[in-house]
Amino acid sequence: MMRALHDRLNALFPLGELTEQRPDLAFLTVPREHLRSIILHLRDLEGFSHLVLLTAVDWLEEGNFQLTYLLSNRGKAVDLGLRVMIPRDGASMDSIHDIWPTAATYQRELREMFGIQFPDSPGVNDDFILEGWIDMPPYRRDFDTKAFSAKTFKEREGRMTTDPEQHMKQQLYPDGA
Amino acid sequence: MSYTPDRSQYPAKKADGTLDIDLTSGKYLKLWHGPNHPGITGNMSVELTVCGDEVVDAKTHVGYLHRGFEKLMERRSFIQVFPIVCRVCVPEPDFNEYCYAAAVEELAGIKVPPLADWIRTLILEMGRVNSYMMYLGGQAGAFGLGVIGQWTTYVRDLMLDRFEELTGARIYHMFIMPGGVRDRLPEGFEQRMEETLREIESTLKDVYDVMFCNAVFKKRSVGVGYIDPALMDAYGVTGPNARAGGVAKDVRRDQPYLVYNELDFEPVVGKDSDIYTRADVRRRDVTMSVDLIRQILAKMPKDGPVMAVTPNVLHWKIPRGETYIRGECSRGEYGYYLVTDGSGFPRRINVRGPSYTHAVALLERMIVNLNISDVAGLMVSLHTYPPEIER
Amino acid sequence: MSVRDVLSPFTAWKNLFRDPVSIADPLKRQAAPRYRGFHQNDMEKCIGCGTCETICQNGAIDMLPVEGIPTKQGDSGLRPRIDYGRCCWCALCVDVCMTQSLTMSNAYTWVESDPDKFRFTPGVDKKHWDDAELGYVRPEGHRLTGELRVHMPEMEPDVRIGSFAEIVDGYSVEQAVLEADRCVSCGLCVATCPTHMAIPQYIAAIRDGNYDLGLKLLYDSNPFSGICGRVCTHKCETTCAARHEGDPIAIRWLKRHIMDQVTFDQITRVVGQPAASTGKKVAIIGAGPGGLTAAFDLAKQGHSVTVYEALAAPGGMTRWGIPEYRLPYDVIDRDVDVIRSLGVDIRCNTRVGKDVSLEDLRNNNDAVLLGLGLQLGRATRIPGSDHPDVRKAVDLLRQATANEDFGTPRQAVVIGGGNVAMDIARTLARLQKTAYGEVRVTLTALEDINHFLADPEEIKEAGEEGVIILDARGPQQVVVEDGKVTGLKTWRVKAIFDEQGRFAPSYDEADEQFHQGSMIVEAIGQMTDASLLGDELTERLTWNRGRIQIDAGGRTSESWLWAVGDMVHGPDVVTAVADGHRVAASMHANLVLKEQSK
Repeated sequence: MMRALHDRLNALFPLGELTEQRPDLAFLTVPREHLRSIILHLRDLEGFSHLVLLTAVDWLEEGNFQLTYLLSNRGKAVDLGLRVMIPRDGASMDSIHDIWPTAATYQRELREMFGIQFPDSPGVNDDFILEGWIDMPPYRRDFDTKAFSAKTFKEREGRMTTDPEQHMKQQLYPDGA
Repeated sequence: MSYTPDRSQYPAKKADGTLDIDLTSGKYLKLWHGPNHPGITGNMSVELTVCGDEVVDAKTHVGYLHRGFEKLMERRSFIQVFPIVCRVCVPEPDFNEYCYAAAVEELAGIKVPPLADWIRTLILEMGRVNSYMMYLGGQAGAFGLGVIGQWTTYVRDLMLDRFEELTGARIYHMFIMPGGVRDRLPEGFEQRMEETLREIESTLKDVYDVMFCNAVFKKRSVGVGYIDPALMDAYGVTGPNARAGGVAKDVRRDQPYLVYNELDFEPVVGKDSDIYTRADVRRRDVTMSVDLIRQILAKMPKDGPVMAVTPNVLHWKIPRGETYIRGECSRGEYGYYLVTDGSGFPRRINVRGPSYTHAVALLERMIVNLNISDVAGLMVSLHTYPPEIER
Repeated sequence: MSVRDVLSPFTAWKNLFRDPVSIADPLKRQAAPRYRGFHQNDMEKCIGCGTCETICQNGAIDMLPVEGIPTKQGDSGLRPRIDYGRCCWCALCVDVCMTQSLTMSNAYTWVESDPDKFRFTPGVDKKHWDDAELGYVRPEGHRLTGELRVHMPEMEPDVRIGSFAEIVDGYSVEQAVLEADRCVSCGLCVATCPTHMAIPQYIAAIRDGNYDLGLKLLYDSNPFSGICGRVCTHKCETTCAARHEGDPIAIRWLKRHIMDQVTFDQITRVVGQPAASTGKKVAIIGAGPGGLTAAFDLAKQGHSVTVYEALAAPGGMTRWGIPEYRLPYDVIDRDVDVIRSLGVDIRCNTRVGKDVSLEDLRNNNDAVLLGLGLQLGRATRIPGSDHPDVRKAVDLLRQATANEDFGTPRQAVVIGGGNVAMDIARTLARLQKTAYGEVRVTLTALEDINHFLADPEEIKEAGEEGVIILDARGPQQVVVEDGKVTGLKTWRVKAIFDEQGRFAPSYDEADEQFHQGSMIVEAIGQMTDASLLGDELTERLTWNRGRIQIDAGGRTSESWLWAVGDMVHGPDVVTAVADGHRVAASMHANLVLKEQSK
């Protein structure tokens, strides 16, 4: 079923890798410039009328953000995740709030948490969750939560631990022999 | 009996279609509804712009409960994520446990023993009853009907007792782990569950008499908070909010997971799509859950393993992949999007809570034109839990 | 809207006549039997492995020393302290606990005015729930770490008895990864290993498929990893945390797996080249594991090392004592060749005292190391044991290695219950099977079967191969008729030690048995042939109960002479390796000192 859909799409758009995760779930990499037309095609002609979620994955090592647009076809009970790879540097993506109004919320969060720009998305630059945040967008992989916490908050005193292997070495063969 | 305020005078619109609200004019007032909200919607606030006692503009503010769970999960091994997922949603934590476990199992290629699937289904239905019980109390409370909350809290507490004896905890159960569930049903559980279910049914009867057959409650809720069924997909509306508008979406039937294929049920739907109907759909859904729990206890296998053999969890690595697992929670579609990269840690986990769409874009749209006193009732009627918005 | 909607809400008033449903005294309410309440820790069972700390996702657990709980083999002496300011009662610590010492009570009320009091060591800090019977314990069958060892494929008894081919197949990569996966990396085993190999780390290297790293970790502490991977006494496995609730990790087989996976070139590349020459010369007598380990270390440090070996090939007891079916000769050759690759000159067939004098070695070198081993078998001295067909196990094993025909007996009796006894019994069994088509070996030992010194798998495998094992039998007399040995007479052992714990077997004379056999083999222990030292040096050296006295670095009372291995520490390969490192360090320090004081 996913294959057939893929074949139909492939006749109309250039497509990337298809991953058939389950009979009712597939992921498909699409070029960013065709995302909008593919989404409209899927929504209006293929019954994928429900935007389940829109989120990002930070492939830091590869220098990319993966945007995942998960669409659902309720009638046929299948889901299709569209993957769009965009460069991390100056990350920006076209808004789809006019296709699904609710996408504006997702895009606002992605702007705040990942630093991905969505020009024209309503209220996209308003604080969403992190009012008053001044560090880098925290859901980026290079934001180190533990280091931030160590820098920002005081450690509770009186905590210390011992490594069993090293402790036994100290106790049982202190000279290393 | 729809409610249409006179909006001929205020507010004026600018050329670009946005509202022309001049706070210095004295005609408008900013009002913060929350975050210290007396209802059960938790810590979120809505910034209202009111004209008289009518709302002309609204903006949702969240972040009061942000704990960065999705980020914390990326920094924990797959087993270490298990104890924190439940904290994303306090009143109905088990969906987090189930969706996370199922996502890990799918990507790691682990087959869960059948009995574990039955116990998982049982737990999810028990959690649904609890969630609805909190909702009913809150919905009634938002319209000044305090007694309902006392009754539903009482039966919810009985269900928590069942949770406690089954899972070892009352609120955060930490019972559904990748690989299965921790343990089997305790001795005599079925009988005590049956007693609890009867108590719930009797309380529901009282709730029906006092809340649903109540002139005041009807006056406040019928025709208020209408969601146009045509907007359901545009705003990603799912669960009872959709079903109350005649859109028969229920993941349990549409894409059956766990053992829902083997259970006999029909999604509860309404048609008026207002606060009253949404409350009524949820009340009937409790009845269905009670029936489902009875079915599960009658049909489930009596013996067998409840935990699959997993690799040593201390250095469990999962090959690169991604998947999405969804379930029908009391508020709609709950889902986990899990991305793995071959390491011992998740690359990304995204929690898709139904409130994310219900409480921001949809709520902001629906509040406009409402009377201030109805705002609380509307918020509760969407059954939103802020932690799942901000994770 | 109807009249009903106006009247119906008043039904709520019926609750006026109902009893309250709230609990009158909630503090006394009992939690459910499996409630996850406050922690308990059984001090008798806890081994301080720290797995609870590793799995805790909140970082709530610290491992700390506790007064009165000493560190000992298999128990780090540390105990978990839990910070209830962080604990979330997920009970992963209870689920993962390697000994099931950690459990939870169903207690859930605890009042303190000082928040730091909520940091406590369960089982050490006395609490009111310590004896609570209800609460969460790990459910049966609920395991987060692998319980059972990956089966090691090996030859069936009826196949292996026909030849000296190696019995154990070794793990495939998949099997090794599965077995390595079970390790929880607690490191309790490291202290038990005489040479303190980096066991958790090399097991992790197997999981990651990083054999170069694994190899490096092995060679950091043991240049005889090929040999030890097959025949090590693996005491590490007796202190493995996994053994308490399942099988210990197959540490020895995993070490072997690394060595099986790598090529000779890979080893020499990882071992690297020796340091620049120091100009110092060292002579080592005996090419066993002790001497060669020292040779390995000294050569790496740039010293010139010559090893003198009386027999035809290096390896010492690993070659001349351990049968080929346990340790193939090419494994020994490869380990030794790596040492040779560092420039160590091993001269075989060169007996010190005959082909070269000890005095010459002393004069031509900066230091001399004795690694003579234990090559003489001890005698039972029972009547008839002076007959030529009463043989020593070590002699026969040496002859078997050299392929000499010592006249395989049709029926033999072995005296002894250690690994050497098993080795000779199983060697004879193979020779008999090949020569006569049937196995007729009887093994008698003083100890009862549960106290044999031999490894349990040796006893099991010997039995499978047709060796008849009789325990608690004390040898009394070798029966000789017409000048020929016909068998051994034994009495049942009542006790081996007297009340003071001295070796003084007592027998039940009424329980006499006769074990038929034309050859009696004594395998009751070995000693060193130190005749090469000569009378004068023997006189000068300080001795302690038949062994040369040495200091912590292996140095004898003579400043130029060190001693290493079995001859000073008793028979064990890995102990000899550890000793080799220690002695080499002492010799190296001494040689450097000498250079500096010049």
